[in-house]
Amino acid sequence: MTLGLKISDVSKTWNPDGPEPVPAVRNLSLEVALGEFVVLLGPSGCGKSSLLYIVAGLEDATEGSVTFDGLEVTEPSPERSLIFQEAALYPWLTVRDNITFGLKIAGQSQKQQQEAAEKLLRLVGIHGAGDRRPHELSGGMRQRAALARALAMQPKVLLMDEPFAALDIQTRARMQGHLLNIWESSKASVLLVTHSIDEALALADRVIVFTARPGQIKAEIPITTQRPRDMRSPEMTELARQCEALLGEEVEKSFNEQELA
Amino acid sequence: MTDQTLGTPMAKDNQRSLGQKLLKRLEPTLWVFASLSIFVGLWEFAWWRGWANPLLLPPPHIFLANMTDQFRFFDPGGTRAGALATGGSIFSVLGVIAWSSFRVTAGLVLGFTLSLAIGIGIRYFRIFGKLVLPLVTMLAPISPVAWLPVAVFVFGIGNPPAIFLVFIAIFFIMTLATLSQIDNVPVHYIQLARVMGCDKRQIYRHVILPAILPELFVTLRMNLFAAWMVVLIAEAVGVGSGLGQVTMMARNTFNASLVFFTMTLIGLTGFAFDQALRYIQRKVLWWVGPSSVGGI
Repeated sequence: MTLGLKISDVSKTWNPDGPEPVPAVRNLSLEVALGEFVVLLGPSGCGKSSLLYIVAGLEDATEGSVTFDGLEVTEPSPERSLIFQEAALYPWLTVRDNITFGLKIAGQSQKQQQEAAEKLLRLVGIHGAGDRRPHELSGGMRQRAALARALAMQPKVLLMDEPFAALDIQTRARMQGHLLNIWESSKASVLLVTHSIDEALALADRVIVFTARPGQIKAEIPITTQRPRDMRSPEMTELARQCEALLGEEVEKSFNEQELA
Repeated sequence: MTDQTLGTPMAKDNQRSLGQKLLKRLEPTLWVFASLSIFVGLWEFAWWRGWANPLLLPPPHIFLANMTDQFRFFDPGGTRAGALATGGSIFSVLGVIAWSSFRVTAGLVLGFTLSLAIGIGIRYFRIFGKLVLPLVTMLAPISPVAWLPVAVFVFGIGNPPAIFLVFIAIFFIMTLATLSQIDNVPVHYIQLARVMGCDKRQIYRHVILPAILPELFVTLRMNLFAAWMVVLIAEAVGVGSGLGQVTMMARNTFNASLVFFTMTLIGLTGFAFDQALRYIQRKVLWWVGPSSVGGI
């Protein structure tokens, strides 16, 4: 039995019986160790989000299997928490009630929920905003709340689908630092999808570069540099150049394909 | 409204003079009066120029002047339907309005709850949905007026047929609106609920229901006026009391003043209903941003 996440030979085809089946992921194998931070980097529409949904248990793989701590993933579970590009907080709940939503469903007492909420609000740095409505918060604060909601379930792996893509660059950098702190203290694994090379290099233990659709692994780049990383250091600029070259080929490919279609 | 002004310093408000505040408070009401004055002004002008025959189109100052004479035509009990009644006071007028309002309210409450229940049922239970949805879609385009004889056959004379007609007027359209709202719940809301351990029932109870209510309430408000139109028809034909019956009697007795007086009452009551629904919407559905509540 392997601890952590194991993706073995997974393929995903959308609309497989339709007139135009769309292959999203093909024969993909990947392991994410306990506490590891893995970033999936690829051009838009390369199937990296599809892979994330399969890991979350929201979609079934057409072929292959996903196991978590040795158990086959068949349905969503709180131990594999999900964060989207938009926070998707429930607008009818206060920020606090959003964060404790899963705990309420799990049947925890009011007192437990309140304690958890206070702790999490503090952890993600939005204590004081607990009684606000989601629409009163800025984009960055909303994403923090979404992070708190995910952490409330004490996940073993955080699945993040371009979580900071909708934020401005300054906020994004702050949120990345924040995420690293939380990740280091929570010891959860992270599987994060992005199309930003800088983001991938700032965060990852390992960057997985995807090919254009159907998504396959093109390259695997381990990064051992201590965090926080200086993105202007020769080492990081070299890695960035490498990623850019790899990604560039794939963007080219998907562009050409679009022109054909 | 308070939600969006949260950031503005409260001190500024206090500095404003009382008069300004009062004006701000009264502004919406003033606009209502201004809007009404234009209409009344044009009508009175037409009468003054001799364009409008005062017997057929009596302007407001005429049909409101003999208002108290008209009170005797209002009979909340409906026992003297169609006949000229004697006596009558402002209370009998209010009584008639209350009966019509009751029928509309009962129909709306019934229609709203049942359409919500059936709509959710159609999506929740697949087989039920497949069996019921075609029927609902086929019944939806039938005008409530066509249901009128059915209402009288089934319920006879009295409140039930009027309430039934209001119900029919909103039920099908609200059921279809419920379905379209359910289908438009952001998929991420549901995916997150599943990740956080919700089963199907919990997703409907904790995510879909609160997500669809605001828009459904807007739909209900838009259909409020249809409900009022229908209740008047029902009262004119199948009930024998209420504002609709008074209008019909006025028509039969060629009493133009009474026609316009009743129309005024209907307009005012409808306006009050809309305001009341807005208020409920703001209080109950506080999570909807001010823009979407106040905008329509």
